Amino acid sequence: MPSLYVHVPFCLQKCDYCGFYSHSLNNSSPDLISVYLEGLEIEMAKRQKDTPQGVSSLFIGGGTPTVLSERQLEGLLGMIQRYFPMNPEVEQTMEGNPGTITMEKARLIRDLGINRFSLGIQSFDDDLLCGVGRVHTAAQAREAIARLRSAGFENLNLDLMFGLPGQGLRAWQASLEEALSYSPEHLSLYGLMLEEGTPLFEQYEGGNDTNTKGAYLRKQSFQLEQKGKDGCLKTLPSEDQQAEMHEWAVRRLGLEGYRNYETSNFALPGYECRHNLGYWRGADYLGMGPGGVSCLNRVRWKNIEDVCAYKNLLSEGKSPIDETGQEVLSLQECMAERMILGLRLEAGVHLKEFEIDFGTDLRDIYRSVLERYKDTDIFIVEGDYFRLNPRYSFVANSILQEFV
Amino acid sequence: MAQASQRIRNFSIIAHIDHGKSTLADRLIEYTGALTKREMEAQVLDSMDLERERGITIKLQAVRLSYQAQDGEVYELNLIDTPGHVDFTYEVSRSLAACEGALLVVDSVQGIEAQTLANVYLALENNLELISVINKIDLPSAEPERVKQEIEDVIGLDASEAILASAKTGIGIEEILERIVTMVPPPQGDDEEPLKALIFDSKFDAYKGAISYVRIVEGRVAKGTRMQMMSTGKSFEVTEVGVFAPSMRIVDELKAGQVGFIAASIKNVKDTQVGDTITDADNPAAEALPGYRKATPMVFCGLYTVEASDYNKLRDSLEKLHLNDASLIFEPETSVALGFGFRCGFLGLLHMEIIQERLEREYDLNLITTAPSVIYKVNTVQGEVLSIDNPSNLPKVDQIVSIEEPIVKATILVPSEYVGAIMELNQEKRGAYCNMDYVSTSRVRLTYELPLSEIVFDYFDQLKSRTKGYASLDYELSGYKETDLVKIDILLNGEMVDALSFIVHRAKSYNRGRKLVEKLRGIIPRHMFEIPIQSVIGSRVIARETVNAMRKDVLSKCYGGDISRKRKLLEKQKAGKKRMKQVGNVEIPQDAFMAVLQIED
Repeated sequence: MPSLYVHVPFCLQKCDYCGFYSHSLNNSSPDLISVYLEGLEIEMAKRQKDTPQGVSSLFIGGGTPTVLSERQLEGLLGMIQRYFPMNPEVEQTMEGNPGTITMEKARLIRDLGINRFSLGIQSFDDDLLCGVGRVHTAAQAREAIARLRSAGFENLNLDLMFGLPGQGLRAWQASLEEALSYSPEHLSLYGLMLEEGTPLFEQYEGGNDTNTKGAYLRKQSFQLEQKGKDGCLKTLPSEDQQAEMHEWAVRRLGLEGYRNYETSNFALPGYECRHNLGYWRGADYLGMGPGGVSCLNRVRWKNIEDVCAYKNLLSEGKSPIDETGQEVLSLQECMAERMILGLRLEAGVHLKEFEIDFGTDLRDIYRSVLERYKDTDIFIVEGDYFRLNPRYSFVANSILQEFV
Repeated sequence: MAQASQRIRNFSIIAHIDHGKSTLADRLIEYTGALTKREMEAQVLDSMDLERERGITIKLQAVRLSYQAQDGEVYELNLIDTPGHVDFTYEVSRSLAACEGALLVVDSVQGIEAQTLANVYLALENNLELISVINKIDLPSAEPERVKQEIEDVIGLDASEAILASAKTGIGIEEILERIVTMVPPPQGDDEEPLKALIFDSKFDAYKGAISYVRIVEGRVAKGTRMQMMSTGKSFEVTEVGVFAPSMRIVDELKAGQVGFIAASIKNVKDTQVGDTITDADNPAAEALPGYRKATPMVFCGLYTVEASDYNKLRDSLEKLHLNDASLIFEPETSVALGFGFRCGFLGLLHMEIIQERLEREYDLNLITTAPSVIYKVNTVQGEVLSIDNPSNLPKVDQIVSIEEPIVKATILVPSEYVGAIMELNQEKRGAYCNMDYVSTSRVRLTYELPLSEIVFDYFDQLKSRTKGYASLDYELSGYKETDLVKIDILLNGEMVDALSFIVHRAKSYNRGRKLVEKLRGIIPRHMFEIPIQSVIGSRVIARETVNAMRKDVLSKCYGGDISRKRKLLEKQKAGKKRMKQVGNVEIPQDAFMAVLQIED
């Protein structure tokens, strides 16, 4: 049974670090959302047949799904339930940002079956939020949490970011402590990544030259004075500073009973995100909406990132797929993905599942890799699982490379 | 006496990089109809990809043009192209020696630049008639009057008659051809005299053997002539003679004054040395043409493949390049750190870079190059004299009585305002002042004795940056001199990496040892563990830095839409790692081995 993802490509304003497909509502017509919803309905009607046994979970992400009006949200959720009916026990997550969540919206989506909410807080420091182009304030974040709780959300995730320009360990600790004070069931802690094509990337790495000021600042940041509102670039925390922030968070959250069940994700027992666990365990998924990515039976494809073209193709009875992004995964690639995703999990890769899915024991197929690391403490085989020693989870790339 | 034809003109083009030499050559070829436009590749003379990209001529070429002048006569114009870099000064001087005239091409915007000058002086030494051409006059920023003045001031040539041209648009092309006919003197030789042919280039052909590119100075040569190399006495039977039209075309005979090629089933390009004189074994000339010098490599480096399995491919590729380039020498060597490779000798730094690039591009090799070195002479306690071209082969200190290093006589031409800067640079580079004179009111010639190792070490870049590119340099080996030299070794994670060892003057050893470890700290990526980097002389550590253990190397977000991209990112990173050399458990990027060149004194 695949999971279902619905992409809502609209935001109040795009954040400076964001590489996802989304329209800023400031500079696009509000009718675009209606166009989007029309297209989405056609796509859902068409893809319903891919889920004869229903879907295992729902995640409505973006973008900022909560920028939709109540009526639009009602339309969206009604449409999903029509084509992909789900029991109330099925995990149904919606993402949203502070500043777009009214009491009415919170109640409405809860009533329409959404039982998990993921809130993009990022930081409780207004200066840092402003520095990466977030349009909300810490006060709005607090308000949103209160509204979601009072609307009856008992499974709440808060997204926080570390490694923001100008952020020090203290500021990070303060944000995380405040987040903890709301007792979220789940926390996602993301280190800021500079994605190509984003304003932040241009600012810090622009010109593709590794000797730019940005790259220099990143390396030398611990030596440089932080500059702020005077318009100068704020320094990005160094690799060591980011590692300290992460390590501190792991220790702190551990004391509060959260498990670091995936590289960037923490949950109280039983509140791990089932939808995302599906990705990390190699399950199939359907991605709807412009920019949505699907993977069914080793074929992966992506819808075009253009609301109007998406809708037009669908109303003409054509496929909204971006042909250039379609790939048929080889067995090798599938196995590599299973490893690089599975080793992000605290639990690791399930040995039996791997063998059932690929017809071979991963210890055989990756024998040479294991041989190379046999004198290290990097890999652990325990019970039914093959996993990464958590000491190395924050430097995993060079190890994961071995499997691609 | 049968005088050489009065209707031959042999000329060459002298120009700074980018001043339009190749375009002009193409235009001349096109105008005279040697090739139609359709037949022409973009730039005929620069036939190697690398040459086109760098805009320089590495391997020189020749072409024969047939031109009907305004006097009604048809002239045979031989254009001999020249490489434009100090590494190849000798080759340039031989090509110029094959001509009676040269076009001096100067960019109408940029004016005269350094590299042009050295070649102008070579041309004047060879008594060539110079025709000034001010090129690119179609550019809006062209300043032909200023450039004319510069030619008069800097070179001392009368520029009032300079031709204003645009090789791009074709302006001035006919005037240039006309001027070649009227100004360049016809060749002087006598075709009844014993044969004397000057070799100005050679090329290996799989079917014809080593082909000599020649200017016939005296006499004549035809198929069947028993030719003899005057430097070695070796003789061969001529199988073909011909001209460049511009592709090779066989003719019955080459006579005094003409430019062409001679094939004689010669197995090895070594037997057709540039500058040598070919004569007729049955009617030999009394003496060879002046100026012959054997090509001697001055700069050495180790070449290794990243993948050990590519060793044989590297050997085969070097052998192929050597077929066309007798000045490239190589012999197998072994490095503890890098495995099996070759120690290669080059004419200079550019020659070295070109060979490396050709190996990587044309032969698809992934190479590691060690920093260039010179040949040191080591007098041992046993009374032996060892020639050391690889620092890691230097004997232990207690075995050495003294070390001698190669010294060059360097001539630097520079506008007078930069004399102070040059003197300062030469001081830093351990140079000994010899002489200074004014070649014109604003231009000075400085002569210095400099250690060759200092020229190899960052000299060109410094020369350029301190004189805004206006200095030009020429040098030749003058001898060996005893110096207080030491070897610095580098330890990574406690293990010596022999390929990083270098020899340096004792007074500079501390500074360079310290700067190199600092540099390496920036080049060597973080690993899962901490890596100490040390500079040592003998067993004494003179500097230490540490590459800290990696602490963050992870993709923070990885959900359904990211998976393919993240997998590909890991694949790319893995491929990048493959380009590094694993020494012990440390992965070293290729540029680490050249890092010693990037440090400033």
